[in-house]
Amino acid sequence: MDRQMRRLWTLTVANTKSYVRDRATVFWTLVFPLVFVVLFGSIFSGVGGGKTSIGWVDLDGTTVSAELAASPAVAGAFTLTTGTQDEMLQAMRDGKVRAVVVVPHGFGSAVVAVRAGQAPAAPLDIALYTDPSATQTAAAITGIVGAAVAGFNQAMSGLPPVLRVNAKTLQSEGITATAYLVPGILAMALMQLGLFGAIPLVEQRQNLILKRLSATPLRRWTFVSANLAMRVAVALVQAGVLIVVAGVLFGITVVGSWALLAFLVLLGAMTFVSLGYVVASFAPTEDSASQIVSILQFPLMFLSGIFFAIDAMPGWLQAVARLTPLTYLGDALRQVMVGGVPFAPLPVDIAVLGALTVVFFGVSARYFRWQ
Amino acid sequence: MAGLQGRAGGEQTVDPGTSVIRVEGVRKRYGSVVAVDGISFEVARGEIFGLLGPNGAGKTTTVEMLEGLRVPDEGRLHVLGIDAVRSSAALKPRIGVALQTPSLYPRLTVDEVVGLFASFYETSRPPDEVIAVLGLGERRHALTKDLSGGQKQRLSVALALVNDPEIVFLDEPTTGMDPAARRSLWDLVKRLRGDGRTILLTTHYMEEAEELCDRVAIMDHGRILEMGTVDELVSRHFHERTVFFDTIAGVPDDALAALPGVARLRHEDGGHTLLYTADVGGTIAGLLALTEVLGDEPGDLGIRRPSLEDVFLELTGRVLRD
Repeated sequence: MDRQMRRLWTLTVANTKSYVRDRATVFWTLVFPLVFVVLFGSIFSGVGGGKTSIGWVDLDGTTVSAELAASPAVAGAFTLTTGTQDEMLQAMRDGKVRAVVVVPHGFGSAVVAVRAGQAPAAPLDIALYTDPSATQTAAAITGIVGAAVAGFNQAMSGLPPVLRVNAKTLQSEGITATAYLVPGILAMALMQLGLFGAIPLVEQRQNLILKRLSATPLRRWTFVSANLAMRVAVALVQAGVLIVVAGVLFGITVVGSWALLAFLVLLGAMTFVSLGYVVASFAPTEDSASQIVSILQFPLMFLSGIFFAIDAMPGWLQAVARLTPLTYLGDALRQVMVGGVPFAPLPVDIAVLGALTVVFFGVSARYFRWQ
Repeated sequence: MAGLQGRAGGEQTVDPGTSVIRVEGVRKRYGSVVAVDGISFEVARGEIFGLLGPNGAGKTTTVEMLEGLRVPDEGRLHVLGIDAVRSSAALKPRIGVALQTPSLYPRLTVDEVVGLFASFYETSRPPDEVIAVLGLGERRHALTKDLSGGQKQRLSVALALVNDPEIVFLDEPTTGMDPAARRSLWDLVKRLRGDGRTILLTTHYMEEAEELCDRVAIMDHGRILEMGTVDELVSRHFHERTVFFDTIAGVPDDALAALPGVARLRHEDGGHTLLYTADVGGTIAGLLALTEVLGDEPGDLGIRRPSLEDVFLELTGRVLRD
């Protein structure tokens, strides 16, 4: 057993070295997705730069509440869209505004009473809806609204506070374009990593390395495990780097469980590594393997909803997207990383990916040729 | 066919003291092509045994069946007393294999590849030692894809030695090597035999077989045509020696064939005429007399013992060279 572990280790190390020294593959699997994130993230987060748009619901309707809306602390920081509470919450779900502030009924009279010297019975709640998946935006908005309220309270110094921020959360469908893209790009990176794994495998068959290994005591499961171990290790590194870069550059933080995210990265890596094995089973030469990989990767990428919401696609394309494994990986990663409205419930995503992995491994176990 | 032992169906037990490879009635076809057509042979411990024949003779298929890489359609193969078909897992730790084409991880260094293969075995020779023995010390940090053809070939042989195997299978080990590298590999193979190892090699180089092999089996079209030591094979077919000279236009073959002692003659591609004769002195005297009449004399006149090349030609009607 110990011996088997040592073989597994040395072979994994050998695979990793072979991978790292193959510059083209490293570019496509590791660097390319990062370039994507930085490029697209910069493009999309630049859109509408300047003031953040928030929804403003004025249930009070007095001059005092209008005064708050016009105060530099509020009007200077935000572009306000006004409307009823229902309208504004819907606008936030649709991603048209980033947050919603609700000024309560009775606000004006309470302020007037305080100004007249009467202490308020209890502070009034200003409701603030933010999207937990856009953590940094939410924190910024909360901070600004909190400061505005504090400033307002301070104007009535010496008296108990009139206002209090009641923070609420609302899951927004319209997570920012960047937040939408990052999990999609991670999914794409995992797909590249797995699909490109077909090429060295076919290379090793063509170079007769697989045949040569068959003449040693190395067992096939050790070979396959080492191959998987290397890919999975690279997948985790890749996910880590992408998440850090997205966090530092675009303030995207993981809302869900890290353990679940790690599990999804592993599952996604397995799904596409096994798809890579299927390619390797049917591609006779290294050239044909890389052709099949490039023919596969673009439709898988663009018909998968990792870049655009599937709802935005025409009907027939939606049907194709439903059949694309990357759709489910992108959806699962998105749910765990940034939230947003799911395409399918998470257990469904996981079940689909798991089932595909089993099917892909089964097909390659049946058709893969070692010589 | 002389020299065949161990008839198919016999229940002889393999004595590992003498016979370490035993092939009985083995056949292998790929589709409609019969690659190996019912061959049998045995190799004793400590022998260098050569399978000699042209490309497509079935040498590689035979070796790969012994290595457990291919399954025969018929017949039995035992290596070190182990059934090479059913129990190849038990066999693999004890044999060393160099495939016909060096099969190396292109983006690993010489050191890394040898270390990797060493890790597959329970016991292995120190990688440094194997690298040094094959003269790859200076290239140890080079990626294998940057090695020359001969260096790849040597690394491939090095990998066959990492587990200190009892039997080494070398499939055309010197293909692509320059003459000096070929010489040094021959020396290595002889040293391996000196260590008590058994070597089975395939080759299509006559001089390699003559230089190295204790015994040779000549293969063609999947069959073994002849088997034995080089001397045995030659003397089995030729009681004569060969008188050779630059072919002279105007001397009819009939006249040459009628010279004293001449059993037969042939013209070589290189422009030589060869006379196989039981009476070297008489033949040469007759030849000189014959050419003198024509006012000519034979250039590059010489005598040699018939070679494996002659045996092969005799057996197949073809010259072995590519």
